[in-house]
Amino acid sequence: MTFLVDHIYYIGCFGLILIGMYIILAKSNLIKVIIGLSILDTGVNLLLIAIGYINGGTAPIFSRPGIEANGMVDPVPQALVLTAIVIGVAVLALALSLAIRLYRHYGTLNLRKIKGQKW
Amino acid sequence: MVNPVLLIAVPLGLAFSIPLFGFISRRIEKYIPVAGMLFNLVLSIILVPKVLQSPIVISIGGFRPPFCINLVAGTVGVFLSVVIAAMGFLVSIYSLSYIKEGATEKYHMLFLLLLTGATGVVLTGDIFNLFVFYEILCISSYALVAYPGSREGIEAGVKYLIQGALGSSLVLIAIALIYGQFGTLNMADIARNISSIHSMNIFLPFVLLIGGLGIEAAIFPLNAWLPDAHSSAPSSISAILSGIAIKIGVYAIARMVFTVFGISDTFLFLVTLGLITLLVGELSAFKQQNIKRMLAYSSIGQIGLIVFALGIATPGGVAGGLFQILSHALSKGLLFLAVGYMIYRTGSMEISSLAGMGKRMPFTSLAFTVGAFSLVGLPPFIGFSSKFMVIKAAMAKGSAIFVVLAALVLFAAIIEGAYFFRVVQIIYFKKSDNALKREEAPPTAIIPIAILVTLIIVIGIYPNFLIGLLNSAGSEFLNRVQYIRGVLG
Amino acid sequence: MRKFLAIVLLLILAVGIAQSIGKIPFGTSKTKVGRYYIDNGVEETGATNIVTSVVVNYRGFDTLGEVTVLFVAALGLGAVLALKKKKQENDELERASLVLTSGCKFLFPFILLFGSYIFIHGHLTPGGGFQGGAVIASAFLLIYLGCRERKINENGAKAIESLSGLLFVVIGLIGLAVGGYFLLNYLPKGIPNTLFSAGIIPIIYIAIGFKVGAELTGIIDNLMEAED
Repeated sequence: MTFLVDHIYYIGCFGLILIGMYIILAKSNLIKVIIGLSILDTGVNLLLIAIGYINGGTAPIFSRPGIEANGMVDPVPQALVLTAIVIGVAVLALALSLAIRLYRHYGTLNLRKIKGQKW
Repeated sequence: MVNPVLLIAVPLGLAFSIPLFGFISRRIEKYIPVAGMLFNLVLSIILVPKVLQSPIVISIGGFRPPFCINLVAGTVGVFLSVVIAAMGFLVSIYSLSYIKEGATEKYHMLFLLLLTGATGVVLTGDIFNLFVFYEILCISSYALVAYPGSREGIEAGVKYLIQGALGSSLVLIAIALIYGQFGTLNMADIARNISSIHSMNIFLPFVLLIGGLGIEAAIFPLNAWLPDAHSSAPSSISAILSGIAIKIGVYAIARMVFTVFGISDTFLFLVTLGLITLLVGELSAFKQQNIKRMLAYSSIGQIGLIVFALGIATPGGVAGGLFQILSHALSKGLLFLAVGYMIYRTGSMEISSLAGMGKRMPFTSLAFTVGAFSLVGLPPFIGFSSKFMVIKAAMAKGSAIFVVLAALVLFAAIIEGAYFFRVVQIIYFKKSDNALKREEAPPTAIIPIAILVTLIIVIGIYPNFLIGLLNSAGSEFLNRVQYIRGVLG
Repeated sequence: MRKFLAIVLLLILAVGIAQSIGKIPFGTSKTKVGRYYIDNGVEETGATNIVTSVVVNYRGFDTLGEVTVLFVAALGLGAVLALKKKKQENDELERASLVLTSGCKFLFPFILLFGSYIFIHGHLTPGGGFQGGAVIASAFLLIYLGCRERKINENGAKAIESLSGLLFVVIGLIGLAVGGYFLLNYLPKGIPNTLFSAGIIPIIYIAIGFKVGAELTGIIDNLMEAED
């Protein structure tokens, strides 16, 4: 039980990651797969933030003089998440544009029915 | 003052400024990648003698290493950046007249950025920075595979994107776990502290990293995207994807295994994985009727050989693997470039439709033959020297299992020979129904093809001037202690 | 069958994850690099927002790559959707009501102002170039949705994108020429917590703000034109 309490944030992040992976592996509609990618990205970003958190932490901004530096959370994961979000957005935008073109060619987004190329 | 950061910054700046050149004249745009890659080629060749003495470590922003991103231009990095720049330069010349349709301006920008991303991956010394450049490489490849906008292109692009994005997410999870345990992202700093952590704790990040990077490297169970993507892309892009992009994945895996984690238990696993990839790739290539799919499966096989060579993990083996990277980049690049105009002339990718090409496009057919023979490993071409080096390193390992494995590699080379000879035979000796008129490829294609043929033959005959460089690169790649000391002082 | 396989695979992964997350304690201070940035960030970079000093200065090279990733995606999207541009010209769009159009036009400059505030003050307050750029793109999205006949000037967006990207690289290269390090913070750091402080950080963030705004607007523009 203490494991659950101590790691509830990690469990939530990995829960999202596993849900995203399940959608990518099991669903056949391309839009659903893209949503799965997006959920996966969110899970990874939350994981990064959770790793950098410290109990009772504040944002790492010295907005006024004399602010306590000890209680600040780790700034590095936040910077990484900024990058990861932008990369996620980039992949998502490209995936959606490909989905538009795929629908125009095949008239369907069901990946099982799209078998122009075989092994 | 020659600084390796220019290898990344200058092409990036040029790629950003292509639209500005486009405002001046639409005709300048396509020469920018040529200029950028020529710059990189010259600069990396200038860097070679310097890094042979000692690796150049550059910190970005002027802070001390673990606290900033640093570039490590060692022999391996500079050698690979020479390969990238050389292939990029030749293929960008080829693209000048090959790419006519679609948003050509965007094609040239994406092309330049793809190669910049590849250069960034081989030079960086920071694990998250590696991920960012790796993403530049991947995302521009997804877009370029889908660039023709045909049914197959879009379908291949979608498959590639989904698998690639899954792989990148795995890499990012691994980076998060590594940061959580070590509190640093600098590869040398992680490598220094990794022995202080119980090996069970780094097992998951290790597996996720290898799995994620393995998708881009197309190692056996993860290679489903490759045949579609490499055969549907424009031939110039196939040459870059086969010649450069998948090798970057292999390099990244090797960097993780050799430098960051330094786990010697995995070497035999890598050798086996490489061998399976080699056999699966060659056997699948043997069945293909489509010439570009055949070349794509053959790339999977060759990647297997490279992984095999790196997995031997002796300086000789790693040097052989790097030599094989060069040899495969040149040969497969040549094959794709030659096939590109053959397909353009016949309008079909079926192997049987290449009949009579020997008379119709004599020079291109000759170049194809040289590339095929080199890939199979016949003397006096470069493929012979590189395969010989790999086999020699496997034999020098001494144990009986490596002798068996080396025999299997030779067996794969025989399969390879069988299907390439079949194509060469069709090109030269099969009667064609069409009237045979000479239609040679345009000069922008002939020049890079001729340069590649020359390089393949010259390096094949005189491999010795490269051997010193390769051996030094091989021992540098395996030397973790020196890497850590070089970066952190 | 496929679902079953997926579940088995994910269960294996979940067991592996459960093994490993127990080792990373939650909520405790454990990072040496992060500690260093908090302790020395203000002094070394002049920015009071430590996340900004990490993003733009300590890990500025990542940010250059990140800007490039977004650029690549915008380019790829344009290239993939390019062939479809011509036909849509004569589509008759039903005009929105006057309340909607004037409301959008009224809000537009304020959203732009807010976006610019976010990226100009990136080194002092939460926010920065990416966030500000996204806010600016949302203003254009509002105009696209509200006043459908309006179009952005594509050449202008392209020029802004290129120039701001180039500015980032050139600032870095000047650092290389002046002090021998790419992206060196060579301008005076100023007094922390004032607008004109932190050397090159605000300039880079302004460039990123323009670039991200132009790129996201371009992505929206391409996706809007592509719809059937």
